[in-house]
Amino acid sequence: MQDEQELVRRAQQHDQEAFAELYEKYFNKIYRYVIVRVGNQAEAEDMTQKVFLRALRSIASFQWRNIPFAAWLFRIAHNQVVDHLRKRTRQLTVSLDETQTLSSSDPQKTAEHRLDIEWLMLATSKLTAAQREVISLRFAGDLPIAQVAQIMGRSQGAVKALQHSAIVALRKALPGGQNNEPG
Amino acid sequence: MSQDRELSSILDECLECLLLGGETMEDCLARYPERAAELRPLLETALAAKQALNIEPRPQFRTRARSQFHTALQEAEARRGRPLFAWRPRWAAVMASLVLALLITAGGVVAAANNSMPGEFLYPIKLTTEQVLLKLSPSALIKAKLFVKLADRRVAEIIYLAQKGDARQVELVTQRLDDHLTMIASLAAAQRAGGDALWAPSGQLAPETDVLSGGEVYNQADDRAELVALLGYYAVSHPAALSQALETASDSVRVALYQAITISVAGYQRALDAIEQGTGQ
Repeated sequence: MQDEQELVRRAQQHDQEAFAELYEKYFNKIYRYVIVRVGNQAEAEDMTQKVFLRALRSIASFQWRNIPFAAWLFRIAHNQVVDHLRKRTRQLTVSLDETQTLSSSDPQKTAEHRLDIEWLMLATSKLTAAQREVISLRFAGDLPIAQVAQIMGRSQGAVKALQHSAIVALRKALPGGQNNEPG
Repeated sequence: MSQDRELSSILDECLECLLLGGETMEDCLARYPERAAELRPLLETALAAKQALNIEPRPQFRTRARSQFHTALQEAEARRGRPLFAWRPRWAAVMASLVLALLITAGGVVAAANNSMPGEFLYPIKLTTEQVLLKLSPSALIKAKLFVKLADRRVAEIIYLAQKGDARQVELVTQRLDDHLTMIASLAAAQRAGGDALWAPSGQLAPETDVLSGGEVYNQADDRAELVALLGYYAVSHPAALSQALETASDSVRVALYQAITISVAGYQRALDAIEQGTGQ
């Protein structure tokens, strides 16, 4: 965290190398978060880029006061997604044809992973907006529960409950899902 | 704690250990044998979701995005070298120069006043300077951004006063905070009612709106986006900072501080709603 704090401080002082390092560190995570939220590759690419350009413009106003940099960046992404979804009238679409799966030289593994992604995108499209937000921040953004709570403006207890209900809903959406309810 | 809430907490604890702590699922289940039957399918699903989410962007996109971002970084650096008021209308540049001259004349007094806190000798100068800057704001959007920055000052003052145990002053500054946030909402509503495209949603704005002054394009769409981003950030960080102050506050200021938290949460929501309602959706 100290290293990141120093990196952010340098970026605020217009150190291009520091900002580029932050960009590389968070690029994939922000992309994953956005694609789960919007479910469309082209839109996710466009929005990911906008998040970083907006962060570049606003970084001078960022202060560490109780909010880590990751939470601030994801909050920008969250606002962008909310704004985008509000304007978008059509339904969530699953369009991930060219999205890269985990680097693998094994075509079978690559194909399996693509199926996993398709399952997950379909399953998450059935979640509520808040459940989808928790799953994307937690599993795509790799954020701890405290930061997810800060970004969503909810208590940690409420976020844990949302995470629980989202995982139960994802479980049900697995193939043969009706039999997958735990307990 | 209800059964469900307890399970939610255990599930989260196990996920932290699995995802960040390097534990195995069996390690985690062994700690909660009585809940293992419920936990196992949930953890399996969560791990499957995590695995599936190891998505990587297309290499072509990554390359293009990186190149665009580096260009933006260089442009930002180049802009820093330009004259401060180059984009402003000429009259605004003149007024700004006058204020600058005044500030230089008043020198250290104004600078010291900016760091002063309620109850201190220079605090009235700080408030007066803020009013002057508001009067000189060349547009409603710039004024709204200034109000957001003043709100940040007010929150710092509230925390300072809470630490001093001065409930009366906390209430007074909270009222000012509420006024600032109300003004942002009012400015948005008034401008929209007047048909100002600036307060339209960002997607409806041209990428760059030319309000030329000194031959340079001033990107108002970006300014609006910056305003929304700043509001969104403070909407989270200000209540969080006030809540943290509440944890160590003396009993005498707790009610006033709690009121400040409530007002900050509602005020930011009101301001964001007022700006975003321009979507008409």
